[in-house]
Amino acid sequence: MSFALAAVLLPLLAAVLALCWRSEAARLVWLSTLFSLLLALAALWQVVTFGPVSMQLGGWQTGLAIRWHLNELSALLLLMTALIHSLVASYSFSQWRDAGLSADFWPLSALLQAALSSLFLSVDLFNWYVTLELLGLAAVALVLLSGKKALQAAMRYLLLSLAGSLCYLLGVALLYGHYGWLDVPQLAVAISEEPVDHRLALWLITAGLMLKAALWPLHVWLPAAHAAAPAPVSALLSALVVKGPLFMLYMIWGQLAGPELAVTGSWLFLLTGSMALVVGGWSALRTPYAKVMVAYSTVAQLGYGLLALGLMLHLTDPAFTQALFLFVLAHALAKTSTFLAVGEMQLRLGGKRLSTYRGASQTMPLAMFAVAVAGGSLIGLPPSGGFVAKWHLLLPLWQHSQLWWLLPVILAGTLLSAAYIFRLVVLAFNRAKPVSPDFAPVLLPQWLALLPALLVWMLAFASGSLLSWLGG
Amino acid sequence: MDWNSWLPVFIVLSSLLPGLLIFSLAEHRFALRTTLNLGGVVVKLLLVAWMWQGVKAGEDYYFELPFLPGGAFILHGDALSLQFVLLSSVLWLVTTLYAIGYLEGSPLRSRFFGYFSLCVSATVGLALSGNLISFVLFYELLTLATFPLVVHRGTVESLRAGRRYLAYTISGGVVLMLGAALLHSLTGSPVFMPGGYLSPLLAEHSGLLMLAFVLLITGLGVKAALLPLHGWLPEAMVAPAPVSALLHAVAVVKAGAFGIVRVVYDVFGVDVMQQLDLTWPLVLLASATILYGSWRALQQQDLKRRLAYSTVSQVSYVTLGVAMLGPVAAVGGLVHLVHQGVMKITLFFCAGNFAETLGIHKIRELNGVGRRMPLSSIAFTLGACGMIGLPATAGMISKWYLASGALEAGYPLVLLVLLTSSALNAMYFLPVIFRIWCLPAGDWPAPKQLSRRFETHWMLLLPPVITAVLIVLMGLLAGTDLSPLSWSKLIVEREFSYD
Repeated sequence: MSFALAAVLLPLLAAVLALCWRSEAARLVWLSTLFSLLLALAALWQVVTFGPVSMQLGGWQTGLAIRWHLNELSALLLLMTALIHSLVASYSFSQWRDAGLSADFWPLSALLQAALSSLFLSVDLFNWYVTLELLGLAAVALVLLSGKKALQAAMRYLLLSLAGSLCYLLGVALLYGHYGWLDVPQLAVAISEEPVDHRLALWLITAGLMLKAALWPLHVWLPAAHAAAPAPVSALLSALVVKGPLFMLYMIWGQLAGPELAVTGSWLFLLTGSMALVVGGWSALRTPYAKVMVAYSTVAQLGYGLLALGLMLHLTDPAFTQALFLFVLAHALAKTSTFLAVGEMQLRLGGKRLSTYRGASQTMPLAMFAVAVAGGSLIGLPPSGGFVAKWHLLLPLWQHSQLWWLLPVILAGTLLSAAYIFRLVVLAFNRAKPVSPDFAPVLLPQWLALLPALLVWMLAFASGSLLSWLGG
Repeated sequence: MDWNSWLPVFIVLSSLLPGLLIFSLAEHRFALRTTLNLGGVVVKLLLVAWMWQGVKAGEDYYFELPFLPGGAFILHGDALSLQFVLLSSVLWLVTTLYAIGYLEGSPLRSRFFGYFSLCVSATVGLALSGNLISFVLFYELLTLATFPLVVHRGTVESLRAGRRYLAYTISGGVVLMLGAALLHSLTGSPVFMPGGYLSPLLAEHSGLLMLAFVLLITGLGVKAALLPLHGWLPEAMVAPAPVSALLHAVAVVKAGAFGIVRVVYDVFGVDVMQQLDLTWPLVLLASATILYGSWRALQQQDLKRRLAYSTVSQVSYVTLGVAMLGPVAAVGGLVHLVHQGVMKITLFFCAGNFAETLGIHKIRELNGVGRRMPLSSIAFTLGACGMIGLPATAGMISKWYLASGALEAGYPLVLLVLLTSSALNAMYFLPVIFRIWCLPAGDWPAPKQLSRRFETHWMLLLPPVITAVLIVLMGLLAGTDLSPLSWSKLIVEREFSYD
């Protein structure tokens, strides 16, 4: 547990130091992400060797204290957070002066990491509220780093995020008022002992979280906000921030909803997930702007998460838990790579429209390669992490013929994602635009953008141990 | 370390590693790039030769890596996979030579040869795949590696063809993956075995097995250019000539055909195929594709497009031979996998030579080429004769076994299909040959002097000459131990002796 605790406190410390000592902020935060990656690895090792642990912070009794729970799942998500942060920080560190990234990025991103890490470790409705609020505020501030042009998108994000928190808080208050517990396992016991109607509370919480996670149809704020932010911020938002509320949905529905309510809820998730896949993919295909396309792809990909969640509740099959978190991991890595590479190309080639990328396979081959490789995982081509996730979603489906209609939906989602990824790739192979001979973009940021994409393709061969950690 | 189990891995790596290195080379490093290319080919051929003698002696080459639950990543060198590995390695050698000559002085060669090597690695990996999961994996990688080659020229029409190619192959890949997932959910993905592994499921899940078969054949049919799914192939003709040669003779269409062989013999197996009554639809589909492809070839005025439709037709001979489920027909289909490859690559090399040297793209521009470019013209003629199935060529051997196999397996109507198709082949190839040799020289669009001593650049000339010699040798020496025919017989012996 001490490792996990350190992995949360280190970024927090780095954020404070970076605020005080602005000239060294970049170096400090970058180093802290690397160390927290090591700490997260150590935490995972600890859990795998010695089993899950709980910890009360501040010495209070259960129910009032900040209680953290570290098991394989939360350790893995902690590791994911640290990994993505260290990848994004390395990329930003290599180019932030060229890119004109504000120095405020560093303390804010460190704060984001601390908030998200503690979210993944909490099992308490109120802790979650606090971390979620911190996460949302840090994210909005990060979007604002783009300056005036991001103002509108950021304001919208802020308002909707606050509305989401309010909904969530209302639901929590209802539950607390009736049962007097905030700790999720305790609350689950209390609900099973005295099953009064807690439907309203659960729906409020769900609506709030779906708004925060930009799950269809409450995704309206996401494309503008993610597209307006600077590239490293977009990567963090798409890869990590939306996963926090998704994780909470999984925990709350998995533990608090009784079997009957779970089936009702599963229909919501199955339907919205299908719509997200199809509608999100279609919007990604239609938009003329590269970053908006990648942002809509996040909306679509979250649909897979929703489907996995819905299927888990509908069929009470733990195999879908594995599918859900494989998606979370694979999407985090792939989306990081896509946003960094697209952002890098946008920076060097100077243009937001897709047409800017004409001939990019010649001008910036590495970055383009990163988009294609990461795109392969988003589509779900073997042997990428996205493929393994989709495989685990598809495979149990064959056994349940009443849900056959999900197969064409997944098929359509796959084809749509292939269509928008290859739309960009085909443009990149266009030779119409001659290359100016003195155009020589720096290679290091491009390599760093490619790295997560390579990692997601290697994920497939580590899937054996991943699956065993995610439980089955 | 157990060398035998690592050999398949090394065979894949021998083109993958040079490919990755080539990507990083600067454009002007001609000598180093050529050394890497040819070095990779030579190493691969040596390794393949080693495996060839081992498999012949009954050795087993098996490599396994954990990948998915119930479906490891398996590379397995057996007789059938070696047929395809040998074909791709030998043709990779000649195509590499040809491509070096063809692309001399053009931009973006490092990218081209990088993807070229990746493409061969994917093909060889696909041939060596030991189970359905690994096969699907390489099948998708092949799509990704070939796409940059199809759009290499970067012009508007090549990008359009590329988009079309992707639309077909990605959709096909997804359908194939669905089929593989369905089978996997029933039994996992065990190693391919003669006689298949699905017979225990026959009683309970016959409906699902049929569905899986349809999904798999649809997915594979896209690359094999089976009838309604062939639309990408003639479009993809805008690619540079070495790419057309590689796509048509070796990599893409053969990957589809090879996959059909695997699914029929090593996943479903002859017994299950017969009990599910899946044979005749496949025979029907293959026959229809053969006739349709030949018919469309007859209507084309562009040389490469005529060859493309001829490919649509000829590749289905492989499917046809395999679908009839008799051992003799199977020999015909398997040997045609090799024969069609060598013949078609010769024709594409020659078409490329005519285009590069004289600027000829249309058939009517070919008048009198025989005297200006005798060696290429002889090679073209031999390839065409082989396609028609004239005696003393490789094509005749394939057709002979297919025809007698049809009689043996009880499909007398297939004979009619073969005869009609041969007649159509003659109808669309003989006028071309007539123009080349018998008509007086016309106005060639853009004649160039590419070499002082030969009719064209020697690197463009040598590959078709080699493959043309092979066509005749495979026809004349079919009875010897080294011929593709005796290897096909060995495969059939092993595939049909599982009881």
